[in-house]
Amino acid sequence: MAVFGWRWTRGRGAKQASLFLCGLSAVVIAFLGRAEASIFDSARAKISDWTQPALGQVRTPFMAVERWFENAGSIFTLYRENMQLRQENAELRKWQNVALSLESKMRRYESLLKAVPDPKLPSVTARVIGEVSRPFAKTMILNAGLRQQVQKGQAVIDDRGLLGRIYVSGERTSWVILLTDLNSRVPVVIESSHRRAILTGDNTPAPKLELDVGDAPVKAGDRVLSTGDGGLLPPDIPVGVVIQEGTDLRVSLFARPGTTDFVNVMSYGIPEPPPAADPVPANSGVVVAGAKETVSPATIADGLTPRPTSVGSTMPLQSKNPAEPRFDGQNEEQDR
Amino acid sequence: MSSAAADLMELLFNHPARFLASLFPALLAAVLVVVANLPISFTGGLLPPPVLALAAVYFWTLVRPDLMPPVIVLGIGLLEDLLSGGPPGLWAAGFVAAYALTDRERETFAGMIGPGALMSFAAVMLLAGATAYVVACVVYLRLAPLPPLIVESISTVLFYPLVVKCLRWVHVRVVGPMRSGQ
Repeated sequence: MAVFGWRWTRGRGAKQASLFLCGLSAVVIAFLGRAEASIFDSARAKISDWTQPALGQVRTPFMAVERWFENAGSIFTLYRENMQLRQENAELRKWQNVALSLESKMRRYESLLKAVPDPKLPSVTARVIGEVSRPFAKTMILNAGLRQQVQKGQAVIDDRGLLGRIYVSGERTSWVILLTDLNSRVPVVIESSHRRAILTGDNTPAPKLELDVGDAPVKAGDRVLSTGDGGLLPPDIPVGVVIQEGTDLRVSLFARPGTTDFVNVMSYGIPEPPPAADPVPANSGVVVAGAKETVSPATIADGLTPRPTSVGSTMPLQSKNPAEPRFDGQNEEQDR
Repeated sequence: MSSAAADLMELLFNHPARFLASLFPALLAAVLVVVANLPISFTGGLLPPPVLALAAVYFWTLVRPDLMPPVIVLGIGLLEDLLSGGPPGLWAAGFVAAYALTDRERETFAGMIGPGALMSFAAVMLLAGATAYVVACVVYLRLAPLPPLIVESISTVLFYPLVVKCLRWVHVRVVGPMRSGQ
């Protein structure tokens, strides 16, 4: 098969036609994969389900060796690191006191306002059994799937912040599309200005921040959180901090996929509207959605809180940094 | 039943060793896809792993093109896409393009030794990577970053001599004798 005098192969007839058809098929599959990803995704899920036991076994010793090499270099800087950590710890203790005082104040205000607390999200703790870092894909494989109620679209976080979301869920395994992946688009909000943005992965370690309409200033160092917009992700999960790269705003992510062994998969949906309440007396002062005046916030929270349905153990979403508040609303429940 | 299928059945029943030997190139390429895509990173995810299967496709296309038809190359490319977690069809297109170039320039490439052979494979890798990149950009309507692809291509070229050494051993010690009925 000759095109403009150039032949695809040395061979003739059937071989040239076969090569042309194969090339065409590859391109068609690429477009089909974009439009109908489910065909490939289910094949991928089946393969990872099938190889799950082996993946877990193979990864463990390799991770141990990798950690050993990572830590070997730090032996020589132990003293300096220790001093840095002491200094950081002293600083964090100050912040812890501030956080505790603010938390107590917040609880008082919530109680006074009879505010509806955020629903507690059911979550599943899963082990990372594989990572894929390729030019066209940044993904992770987890050892929890549909059997553990891990479903497509759920948010995945490590102990520092948002990692990505589930894009393929098999019976016993699931694949996570990381925030850095070329195809990742996640709605976020800038904490200080409340300006909405889209976090766009481009396979670089710091994804791009595409700001929404509005003129609130965004500067390097601002914290970026997830939003519940569109019911895709739970709100207020720490994502990272804004950094400036030339004219681009990017986000340096808190999560570290390369060093994460366990992650939390959070089930999130737009909360059900509360049952219709009796009319609130005109003189009550504060109108609280769905709450009678006599109903305590804890009872309201119980009604709204989905029960954890995880098969795996649940991991408290406490940051390693003691001064940072938890972001799953567990403090409120426990403190009550 | 087509004549190709009839030939295959005849080969399977009358010369099972030859039949098995004819499967070896495809199987080895599939094994290399699996090895390269073991979800383990020695660099904490910083460096992408090499596309080892491309070295197998290149080698067998030069040495035994009859055992590496285009449809097998397409299958190996799809397996690479499937296991690498990336969008389907990208490496499949890249592998087919690499196959076309290798097959077309077979006499030139087969005559190369030492650094020349490495440069020939680098050219094939460049074409495969460029094809996958262009297809990705066209399908996803945005530019993918080039540096990871360049790093992946360089690491693939660096691994090529090692892979070829193993494949040559298999060719001389296993496939050749089995095909000749020894």
